[in-house]
Amino acid sequence: MASRKIEVVEKKNLVSPPVAVIISVLFPGLGHVLIRKLNRGLLIMASIGTIIGLFLWRIDLLAHRETDFISQYLKALSRKGFFIGFITLAIVILWLWVARDTYLHATRKKKGGFALFAFILVMFFAIGWQISEIDLKKAVTKFPDAWPPLSKILWPWEAAFTRATEELSASTEILIGSEDQGPPPIPVEEPGKPYLRSTPNFGKLSSLDENNNVIKGTILHLTGKNFKPNTLTQIWWFDALGNEFRPRQDGKYTSVTTDDKGNFEYDLVMPYRLIPPSAEGKILNKVEARQVTEVGSLIPADPLKLTFSLIIETIFMGMMATFFGIILSIPISFLAARNIMKGSWVTMLIYFITRTVLNIIRSIEPLIWALIAVVWVGLGPFAGIVALTVHSIAALGKLYSEAIEGIDHGPIEAIQATGANWLQTIMFAVIPQMIPPFVSFSIYRWDINVRMSTVIGLVGGGGIGFLLVQYIRLLDYKAAGIAVWFIALTVSILDYVSAEIRNRFV
Amino acid sequence: MLEVKNLTKIYNDGTVALDDVSFTVEDGEFLVIIGLSGSGKSTLLRCINRLIDPTEGQIIWDGKDVTSVKGAQLRNLRRQVGMIFQHFNLVNRSSVMNNVLSGRLGYVDPWKSLLYKFSPEDRKKAMESLQMVGIEDQALKRADELSGGQQQRVGIARALMQNPKMILADEPVASLDPVLAHTILGYLEKLNLERNITVMCSLHYLDLVQRYGTRVIGLRDGKLVWEGDNNAIKKMSDAEFKNIYGEEAERVSAGSLTGGEV
Ligand SMILES: Nc1ncnc2c1ncn2[C@@H]1O[C@H](COP(=O)(O)OP(=O)(O)OP(=O)(O)O)[C@@H](O)[C@H]1O
Ligand SMILES: [Mg+2]
Repeated sequence: MASRKIEVVEKKNLVSPPVAVIISVLFPGLGHVLIRKLNRGLLIMASIGTIIGLFLWRIDLLAHRETDFISQYLKALSRKGFFIGFITLAIVILWLWVARDTYLHATRKKKGGFALFAFILVMFFAIGWQISEIDLKKAVTKFPDAWPPLSKILWPWEAAFTRATEELSASTEILIGSEDQGPPPIPVEEPGKPYLRSTPNFGKLSSLDENNNVIKGTILHLTGKNFKPNTLTQIWWFDALGNEFRPRQDGKYTSVTTDDKGNFEYDLVMPYRLIPPSAEGKILNKVEARQVTEVGSLIPADPLKLTFSLIIETIFMGMMATFFGIILSIPISFLAARNIMKGSWVTMLIYFITRTVLNIIRSIEPLIWALIAVVWVGLGPFAGIVALTVHSIAALGKLYSEAIEGIDHGPIEAIQATGANWLQTIMFAVIPQMIPPFVSFSIYRWDINVRMSTVIGLVGGGGIGFLLVQYIRLLDYKAAGIAVWFIALTVSILDYVSAEIRNRFV
Repeated sequence: MLEVKNLTKIYNDGTVALDDVSFTVEDGEFLVIIGLSGSGKSTLLRCINRLIDPTEGQIIWDGKDVTSVKGAQLRNLRRQVGMIFQHFNLVNRSSVMNNVLSGRLGYVDPWKSLLYKFSPEDRKKAMESLQMVGIEDQALKRADELSGGQQQRVGIARALMQNPKMILADEPVASLDPVLAHTILGYLEKLNLERNITVMCSLHYLDLVQRYGTRVIGLRDGKLVWEGDNNAIKKMSDAEFKNIYGEEAERVSAGSLTGGEV
């Protein structure tokens, strides 16, 4: 049997293998190009170039002040030894590897081979890790810091409800100054009504000396009667202008607990207050004993009420945006459907322009549209609706137009063949085919829009997100937690509902 | 009587699908069109109810040139010509009933029909049409829930709603198995014999052609290359056969594809 030689036409190398290797060492990748491995060579050049570029950039960032490269490198090495050392070593290995690869390819001992590129990929990964400042240790060790806000967000319900409060108080006037100015009358005790008296009912306020040391004021002996028994009672001070504040004594707010009969005795040092320079004559302050107790059943607290009303606003924002989006995108979707527009070059031009504009609008996130809309129509839900509508038009326009492109021409032909006119053909052959994708896409979009409207408030576009950032900025994590819970609840209910509707229709 | 005179169709891309085709169909005939894939059968059928506009030539039906009618006149032509398709072309998501009723669209008040409103008479007629093809019990199902054979029967019922003088059937049984093929063609034959409806039908199986056709025309590359009655097709010589189906074609019998068609 005559053996036939299979001739493989191979282009000859432009340089001999040793020369190729030397060139590759001087300039990685160029050797490959010269032995006619153009793609491999260019890929190697681009990879090594990028790796070295990124590496130099990181070194420069780590050692900003050093002037010459050597000292910069050493500084960087001292700061991030592992990373710099690893990449340096990897570059050296890569360099040698490329040289060896050149030799093997030049002598036809090898074809293809992906290990080299896998290695390059690993290097990119290492550099990426460093650039994005991934710090797993911190994530673990610092986790306890996240716990207090997180726990409040996870279980915020104490803040969701409150009770109405009832106040029980009695007060008595105190003269600032000496007895000869004529102290105010001592209040008269009435049966069943809370009563407070002070002995004496005049004296000196606490004050500061030149060294800012407190000089204690007169001690007032307070006697309270007819309060609720065994209940914490706060002591408040009113200055001459009527400003109320709660004095501190031994670092604690002044308070006393009543005895079984609802009486108490308490010694209050007259607090430090500035006397307004304009004050003339008799200056009267007031001391008040106050019991605040919760009464009645639980009622929704403000965060809960606000969250609820804003969740409703959010759902409707999503709905309105979807509604406008659908209405406006339907006509546009026809302009973006190839099978409708392929008639002439004019319509094709409109098709391409529509498609491009839709793509651009779609690629800009709703959050960015919201920033623009806030400038345009001002803060509030309307800005959110504008932003979501714009994005919905683009997204739905694309989906609808694809649905239009996908319709089956057969039924259209069949209906035309019965003698139906244009409108009848649309109603009987086109619309039935369009309903399932239209319904499905519209509901999907509603879903997205409500979800988006929960965050669009972050930039002032109204809805629950607006409230959420405010609570977070006020460090009120419980209230924020209520908002988060409601968002989660709404989104999951919506998920379920939209899936159900879609199943029914499609 | 339908007269096709020098009919030529050149598509926009320059494909000559029909090339100077002339023939006549008498009322009440069952005319079968044979030919290789791409020979122009579908194009010819679609020219007759003007789903495609011919490039040249004339189609004269009952003495009236229908080649260039427009608007209401065109719809009037179409409603007298029922059409049945290889892939049934039903509106899948609509009910069987609505599919059948859509056959009335050429007759009813267009505005009322837009809301899917049809008169009781039309609905009664629709049930009768479904009865005629034996699937009245499927009326309320969605069209795509039916089997292929049932769907084609819906197609026939839809055509019947038009009170057609002629039925065009473009490979009505090509996507059905041979047993069903006889059922479907049986219905067409029944309509042809009992109601004197002219049938023009393109077919691939030669045994079906011999069984149902009263007359046959053969197309090749858009040209009319053969014409004869039922007897003639039974006696068709190998040379004639190869003229239609090409040199490589083998003549195969019952139930299998004729040569050339892969
Ligand atoms: N819309 C169109 N545009 C351009 N060329 C077309 C178009 N429709 C059909 N043709 C071409 O016209 C020729 C005849 O097509 P036609 O569909 O009439 O053939 P056919 O005999 O029905 O074939 P088949 O048995 O495969 O259905 C073919 O070459 C086809 O490619
Ligand atoms: Mg065809």
